[in-house]
Amino acid sequence: MIRTTARPLRVGAAVVGIAGTLTLAGCASATTSGSGTSDENAASTSGSSDASGGGAYKDGTYTAEGSYQTPESVETISVTVTLKDDVVTDVSINGSPTRAESQQYQAQFVGGISDAVVGKNIDTLSVSRVAGSSLTSGGFNKAIDEIKSEAAA
Amino acid sequence: MAPGADRADDMWSFEAIGTRWQIETDEPLPTEAQREVRAVIDRFDAEWSRFRPDSLVSRLARGAGSVPAPADAGTLLAVYTDLSAATSGAVNPLIGDVLERRGYDSAYSFVDHGPVAAAKNWQERVRATDGRLVLDPPATIDVGAIGKGLLVDLVLACVRRHVGGDIVVDASGDLVARGTAVRVALEHPYDTTRAVGVIELQDAALCASAVNRRVWGDGLHHVLDARTGAPVQRFAATWAVASDALHADAIATALFFDGGPELAHVWGADWVRMTTDGRLQWAPGSKAELFT
Repeated sequence: MIRTTARPLRVGAAVVGIAGTLTLAGCASATTSGSGTSDENAASTSGSSDASGGGAYKDGTYTAEGSYQTPESVETISVTVTLKDDVVTDVSINGSPTRAESQQYQAQFVGGISDAVVGKNIDTLSVSRVAGSSLTSGGFNKAIDEIKSEAAA
Repeated sequence: MAPGADRADDMWSFEAIGTRWQIETDEPLPTEAQREVRAVIDRFDAEWSRFRPDSLVSRLARGAGSVPAPADAGTLLAVYTDLSAATSGAVNPLIGDVLERRGYDSAYSFVDHGPVAAAKNWQERVRATDGRLVLDPPATIDVGAIGKGLLVDLVLACVRRHVGGDIVVDASGDLVARGTAVRVALEHPYDTTRAVGVIELQDAALCASAVNRRVWGDGLHHVLDARTGAPVQRFAATWAVASDALHADAIATALFFDGGPELAHVWGADWVRMTTDGRLQWAPGSKAELFT
């Protein structure tokens, strides 16, 4: 069981954003039907039925399971998202991609594999640069914002 | 000079090709040098950007058949040949057609028309010969896997023609450092306030790729498997160190697929990658300091 606590995100305000958050959690496309890669999907919902605050989503814990085909195997994974007052308060991922390269291959070209990594706050590190994904272009962000506002309308 | 501030003293920041650039030098970069850097980037964009209707690749996509070959065409196609072979076809410069079909088009429509494979026979269709870049039948080239890395190298070369000393060229995700070592945090793809490790970079390039930005629709992101048109599922972020940014960028892309670690081994590149369930893998003998 891997647990990753996501930073709070307003759900109602960002329909596209929650897809992004699930992707951050690792496997949105495995949990969404119609993505073209999932060949089997099941979703279940549990948690409080007394939704509070009139938000866009009921408080509770949402779990989705999916499987997808890789060139060599079928992977299954499940993602659980906890919502409270339209904020994602917890994300956990159960079932890891199990397909492994051969032992020989790993020994030869991969130095090691860790458990899930939480990391350290960048502000506490003595670094002068940060390397992650490219900041997105103005055009990309503008288009996503438009889609969000249309979804909210 | 404050402790820790032992790096270059002048920084020039600007926006170009849709991302943020920062160039650090000991002395302010002369206006003439800044103009040349801009010209290098503009030329590359006018040749390779599929988001510009007047670019060479857009003309090829509309059926030009052939265009004057950019100076970098042979270099880029040679690296794509290596990447394609190493990843069993998962990396392919004709992925542009697939990205457009899935909604990442020049109009940013984000309307997904489903997965489709990129043309498997790209090496027969795209050729740089006799000073011409030939593409027949028409298709959309996307050099996103390595193009920005090459551009970082070109910008560094331009800067070095004007100033000596310590230089850092950082194109947001792809960076190169000459001179004094710089410590670079490896951004956690699930929480951008955190780092999963630090790499010290000296006279080398570090390229990073992750699926947490450029995200749209139902879990779609910009790293697609050319064999299926589907977004990669197993890896969330990759980092690669090589002697130049072109090769670091290539490894950072290859690491999303099987065969990436082997290509890194062949090229002598250091690397780290994170699986989508949050675990790190690294190169044998990696010099990265990881917070595992």
